[in-house]
Amino acid sequence: MSPDTVPAAGFDRELGLDELLRSVDRARLADALVALLGTGLRLSDVRGRELLARGEVHGGVRLPVRGEMEPIGYLECDATEAQAAAAVVLLQWILRANARYLMASELHLQAVHEDYAELQRRHAALQESEARYRELALHLEQRVAEQVQTIEATQRRLYQSEKLASVGQLAAGVAHEINNPIGFIASNLNTAQGYLQRLGHWAEQLPAAPDLAAVQQAWAAADLGFVLQDFSDLIDESRSGAARVARIVADLKGFSRVDQGGEEAADINAIIRQVCNVAEGQIRGRLAPVFVLGEVPPLRCNAAQLGQVILNLLLNAADAVTPPGVVTFETAVAQGQLRLRVHDNGGGIPPTVLPRIFDPFFTTKEVGRGTGLGLTVSNDIVRAHGGRIEVDSRPGAGTTFTVWLPLR
Amino acid sequence: MADYEAEAGRITIKLVYYGPAQSGKTTNLMRLHDLLQPEMKGEMMTLETHNDRTLFFDLLPLGITAPSGLLIKFKLFTVPGQVQHDSTRKAVLSRADGVVFVADSQRAQSVNNGAAFENLAENAARVGLDFERLPLVVQFNKRDLPGVLAEEEILARWQGARWPVVFSTALIGCGVVETLRALLEQVYDAIDGQMQLSAVHGLTRPAFVDAAAGLAP
Repeated sequence: MSPDTVPAAGFDRELGLDELLRSVDRARLADALVALLGTGLRLSDVRGRELLARGEVHGGVRLPVRGEMEPIGYLECDATEAQAAAAVVLLQWILRANARYLMASELHLQAVHEDYAELQRRHAALQESEARYRELALHLEQRVAEQVQTIEATQRRLYQSEKLASVGQLAAGVAHEINNPIGFIASNLNTAQGYLQRLGHWAEQLPAAPDLAAVQQAWAAADLGFVLQDFSDLIDESRSGAARVARIVADLKGFSRVDQGGEEAADINAIIRQVCNVAEGQIRGRLAPVFVLGEVPPLRCNAAQLGQVILNLLLNAADAVTPPGVVTFETAVAQGQLRLRVHDNGGGIPPTVLPRIFDPFFTTKEVGRGTGLGLTVSNDIVRAHGGRIEVDSRPGAGTTFTVWLPLR
Repeated sequence: MADYEAEAGRITIKLVYYGPAQSGKTTNLMRLHDLLQPEMKGEMMTLETHNDRTLFFDLLPLGITAPSGLLIKFKLFTVPGQVQHDSTRKAVLSRADGVVFVADSQRAQSVNNGAAFENLAENAARVGLDFERLPLVVQFNKRDLPGVLAEEEILARWQGARWPVVFSTALIGCGVVETLRALLEQVYDAIDGQMQLSAVHGLTRPAFVDAAAGLAP
């Protein structure tokens, strides 16, 4: 470390006689000494330089004048030894008083300079750090904005992936749902084709038939009475199957409008039923929905998004129950808001898990089964609608999610 | 480093008594002034305020002559111990050839001792002294008071340090000369090489210590 500022010579340097007499009025000192000694005198430093002289000196007495210890000068006069010694004592008192003053003032000056230099150093350091903070503050807003953008983009991607995951899950169930009616419609059409051939074969015999009895006999032989009846049944069954497919497709379309979802006046009860229809394939055998739907006014909302919330709650209920379970959807108007309760009779959520269920990526399901975002997204959607989700769960008594939505 | 003035035939050695406020630095100098009888002894210069606190410094000059005729002058300074006089302390410490750290043995003063010692190390670095090589004696003063740390405890704490520890009751002059002698021995070793004390001036270490810290008969 380099020394801060150490002057070549400080307050503690050796002080010469000349320096110690600097602040003294030498003429008056000489007058006083002459009066005291009664003779001329000569005061010189250790190098023989004359500093004070008055009158003639004939080399009578020469006494050392001491500073701290050693001689710093000599007094010569023609007075008695005792007189000269007394004069030296007085002189040394004056010199010592001056030495005290000089050392103290120089040390004080040195300390003041030091303090001042230190203050300036600190001032400079403060200015530097202030400039740094100012710069930081200047860029802070911009950096916060950038961060927010990044976070929002990430969030959008996450939500998109959650949506895709639930849609994918749904698609599997829907495919199964559609496959079943398509299967029996195709089988019915095959049978119908066979029936048509039998009818055609009978019709070919008509021109050559001798009489009505032969026609009737051929009709009976081909069992065409049954064919006609069954044909009608097949058509009815196929029409109802086609209607079922059409209904599923319509519901799915309603549900999959997530992207184009703007606000519209929607019937929450209809959305609930639609979602349950679409997800029927996934919950069949595990969970039976029960509807206790009250008279509720139309709700201005993003229907597709609320559908996603209801689907999430429904699928969670399906995972929570021991088959066969029951999930109850209950709607009502309470406290000026629309209240939707989804209650299942499953095992309930353990108290240790309960505080974390809305946390992103928190899941109790096995790997690959849940994204850990379902309830997070649901909570965000409900909050975006100005509402909130409450949970009430006791182990063994099932779980109730209550969604409050303001009626605007 | 000791100041050699060839023209005046004089070496000046600066010794500084450092330590927390009211640990007995000035008392050390006053007792040395009473007890020592070196070849030359100046009057003690004190600059105290009305409440006996050192404001700038105290100074006790001592002098000895080597067989070669070289005058060796010792200037013993004290620093003001109060925290706010740090710049003064630093100025007094600058160019020191040796330091006595006067600690207060009372248990309640341990924290102040520690802070003052750290301050000494910092200021030594700031005025360009190599603290690792600086001759230094640690004096635990006020052994006569109740509630002081036991000697074993103090020695155990300073065991790892290279500096000698001396116990004292400066008020009655106990231990102050031993402290100075312990410092002079280190100072001699530190300056002998450059100043040629033994080789040129015929002054051995025991002679140096005895001459400077010789007791009044």
